[in-house]
Amino acid sequence: MTRKRTAAVVVVAIAAILAAVAGSTKAAVAATPVVTIWTDQNRKAAVTQVATAWANARGATVNIVVKDFGSIRDNLGTVAASDAPDVIVGAHDWTGQLAANGLVEPIYLTPAVKKQFPAYTLNAFSYGLAVKKLYGVPTQIENIGLVVDTGLVKIPTSFAMLEQEALAYKKKASGNLGIAVQQGSGGDAYHMYPFFSGLGGYIFGTNSAGNLDPSNIGVANPKFLKNAPLIDKWNKEGLINAAVDSSTAQNAFLKKQAAFWITGPWNSQLLSSSGLKFKVIQMPKIAYPSVPFLGVQGFMVTKYASAHGVDQLAQDLVSNYISTPSAQLALATANGRYPANIAAGKQVNDPVLAQFGKAGTGGVPMPNIPQMSSVWSDLGAAWVKSTKGAGATKARVAFTAAARSIADKIG
Amino acid sequence: MSATSATPAVAQVEIPRPALIPRVLSAFSGTPGVVAKIVLLGILNAFAFWAMYVLLTRSHWVSVVVLALATAGIDLVYLAPTRKTLPLKFLIPGTIFLVGFQVIPIFYTVKVALSNYSTGHVITKHDAIQQIKINSLQPPPNGRSYTMTVARTSSGELVLLLQDQTSKKFYVGTTKALTPLAPSTVTSGPLGITAAKGYTVVKGAELFALDKTLQNFIVPVGKAGIRPQTISTAVELEPTLRYDAKRGVFIRLSDGAVFADNGKGAFAHGADELEPGWTTGVGAANFKRIAKDPLVRQPFLRVLIWTITFAALSVAISFAAGLFLAITLDKRGMRFQRVYRTILVIPWAIPGFLALLVWAGLFNDKFGVINRMFHIGIPWLFDANWAKVTCILVNAWMSTPYFFLVSMGALQAIPDELTEAGRVDGGTPFQLFRRVTFPLLLVAVAPLLIASFAFNFNNFNAIYFLTAGGPPQANSSIAGSTDILISYTYKLAFAAGKGQDLALASAFSIIIFAIVALISAIAFSRTRALEELA
Repeated sequence: MTRKRTAAVVVVAIAAILAAVAGSTKAAVAATPVVTIWTDQNRKAAVTQVATAWANARGATVNIVVKDFGSIRDNLGTVAASDAPDVIVGAHDWTGQLAANGLVEPIYLTPAVKKQFPAYTLNAFSYGLAVKKLYGVPTQIENIGLVVDTGLVKIPTSFAMLEQEALAYKKKASGNLGIAVQQGSGGDAYHMYPFFSGLGGYIFGTNSAGNLDPSNIGVANPKFLKNAPLIDKWNKEGLINAAVDSSTAQNAFLKKQAAFWITGPWNSQLLSSSGLKFKVIQMPKIAYPSVPFLGVQGFMVTKYASAHGVDQLAQDLVSNYISTPSAQLALATANGRYPANIAAGKQVNDPVLAQFGKAGTGGVPMPNIPQMSSVWSDLGAAWVKSTKGAGATKARVAFTAAARSIADKIG
Repeated sequence: MSATSATPAVAQVEIPRPALIPRVLSAFSGTPGVVAKIVLLGILNAFAFWAMYVLLTRSHWVSVVVLALATAGIDLVYLAPTRKTLPLKFLIPGTIFLVGFQVIPIFYTVKVALSNYSTGHVITKHDAIQQIKINSLQPPPNGRSYTMTVARTSSGELVLLLQDQTSKKFYVGTTKALTPLAPSTVTSGPLGITAAKGYTVVKGAELFALDKTLQNFIVPVGKAGIRPQTISTAVELEPTLRYDAKRGVFIRLSDGAVFADNGKGAFAHGADELEPGWTTGVGAANFKRIAKDPLVRQPFLRVLIWTITFAALSVAISFAAGLFLAITLDKRGMRFQRVYRTILVIPWAIPGFLALLVWAGLFNDKFGVINRMFHIGIPWLFDANWAKVTCILVNAWMSTPYFFLVSMGALQAIPDELTEAGRVDGGTPFQLFRRVTFPLLLVAVAPLLIASFAFNFNNFNAIYFLTAGGPPQANSSIAGSTDILISYTYKLAFAAGKGQDLALASAFSIIIFAIVALISAIAFSRTRALEELA
């Protein structure tokens, strides 16, 4: 029986040693306040650099945690409070969902700082049912533009010219496309938005308080429906086609099977290294300016910062430091995007990036209210139905059905 | 230590060379086994101690007691010098995994299905009240913002040294009042006040440690209050709502409207709700919604029929193709047999989502290789019926290697005497296959067919990466032409309403589970009949 007792003693001893080791490593860390930041792999290097510079200046410590971009939003609601981030780097269209969930804190920028940002970037991060509040500091902007192969065609100055040039180029060879814009059988409302806005479409109207109103759906508004037969015309002449998906569109442009490609700055390196002569412009006005959707990325302070006792530090990082032109320039250019801060934007000397920035003029931030999740699939489906070539549904019918379905889903 | 005493008995039996696994296992029955056991138990206990420590710091008393008792119990079972605990030694690990990987997930799924867990309802009521209070603060018209320096008076009282960012005037703020400071007593820079007569500035670690104190530090200014925002700024804010803790309601200060708990996880005044809400149980509300909501009900039957068709045809075609290939390649003395077999297994070795994306490209209506190579114009992905054919074909292609391997194994297990006897009796090769080989094969493969059916019933990837549920239905409901129940659930829960309706998704997955369980149960009882036949 002594062996049994020895065994028991050994078990307890090993346990105690391991527990002590685990405990001591934990105790060694918590001397200076730690601000935990969640970011994705693409932004990690720039965020680390900027946040560390801030931490050194203030005498705090930052802990950068890398997550999948989408998981940053989704895990914020489920993470244990002790592991939760104090600051997240995310997209503006998360704002509604995160604020409605009570997971992010309002930010109060001083008038002097507010003036350094275009109003729409701050608007993109603002949300509220009754009163709008700012929940994030924008750092970078992205939008799609019309990439023109200037070796093949002239830069169009009107939509009629674009249409004529694209169709003429399409006729040159059997595999050619008119305008290479990605859809696929599941649809892609984001890349089709310049056509949508150019025809007078909008997603949500605003109420008297200036907030997006989910009951005012503009997917089939009278102005748009009046211009919708143009979509049927484009479908018939083959200017755009739903069968073109992202890889088809990209290949067609790179292999000179298309002279026009609608894409965003995430392909700017690919474009620059392609050896093609090109210019990025905003698609010419159809009936209304053909503006793209704007995506704004930025920093937000989570509700966990208060419980962690680093609320004022997290707020300091986001509202006093991330907003400065130097931090903005470092964050945006490392990521190949245009900075949100106006002064920082003037320092961008990458011509492609600057062209994309200009192509976004007058653009509309993607609606940031949670009801937007009801819109994407139906709007994309309406485009697919009306531009799938032979057997397509009339655009008026497709978009009217989409508007009704969206309203049903929002309920 | 029962294993130790059993070793000599094993040794006495005359087995020249036992298989590898028993040999390895027997190596553990002596002292190395005891050492391994002690180390493993030690690690388990260390983990338990650490977990108890964490639970204690968070005051989860019940969990601590349960954990301590469970750990002590496990130690007792493995260390006690009695044979009575022998069955438990084998039962405990299995039970722990059963609870961890089956019971707990099911418990949580049911719990979520009976709650309102969705956008706007993810935090607790306590936290929601806190967030509503924070969100209800508004800068008043002409509200001012200040550069802030935290300081202590000579008596140690905490104060805020403030500089108005517009007027550049100096103030000192306490929890009672805001009083001007004479500029002559103050030294200031671009970051506000750096020193003031009679005050000691609080900086660095000492300032950071005051975070929670400062979160509740309010300098009253009329109805509004100046609150610290960052470590160096403060903002004048005015509440728009008041929380009445006694009645548990929020009152809107502008018109006295009362926002009371509406029982559905939100404070509401009529239809007007305050955000955020909180997670709460709502009983069978989600199931009722599935039964009543026309958005859900209208396409349900169509989706269910397609799901069963998809799963059944995928299994049938891939099994038929796999079996055919297995029989063809089973010929003895065939050259390059291994090469053929290896090539056939490749589809199974490619990551599924990659293969699916490639297939989506190959099937592209206008630019895909398939239509171009054969000079045909079949709308593989854009016609409702063709898209269904595409889904089944691609999915069958993906699982054919599986059934090829399984059938090959099962065929080899069928004794040659049986077919030989049949041949002697004058059976044709087809008759032999139909009457002898196939029934015997089915005994072995039938459970796998059922499992494969259940898997394909919920094969989200096959649909989502190939067609994303498209093409859309003409009358535009959420469900596309090729949406199966699980991809439809995904769209319903994550691409409708406010998105992220996890409660609805859980309720739906329970229903899907019931359907799959029912079909499998019927199929298994049929299989048993098959076994008796054999």
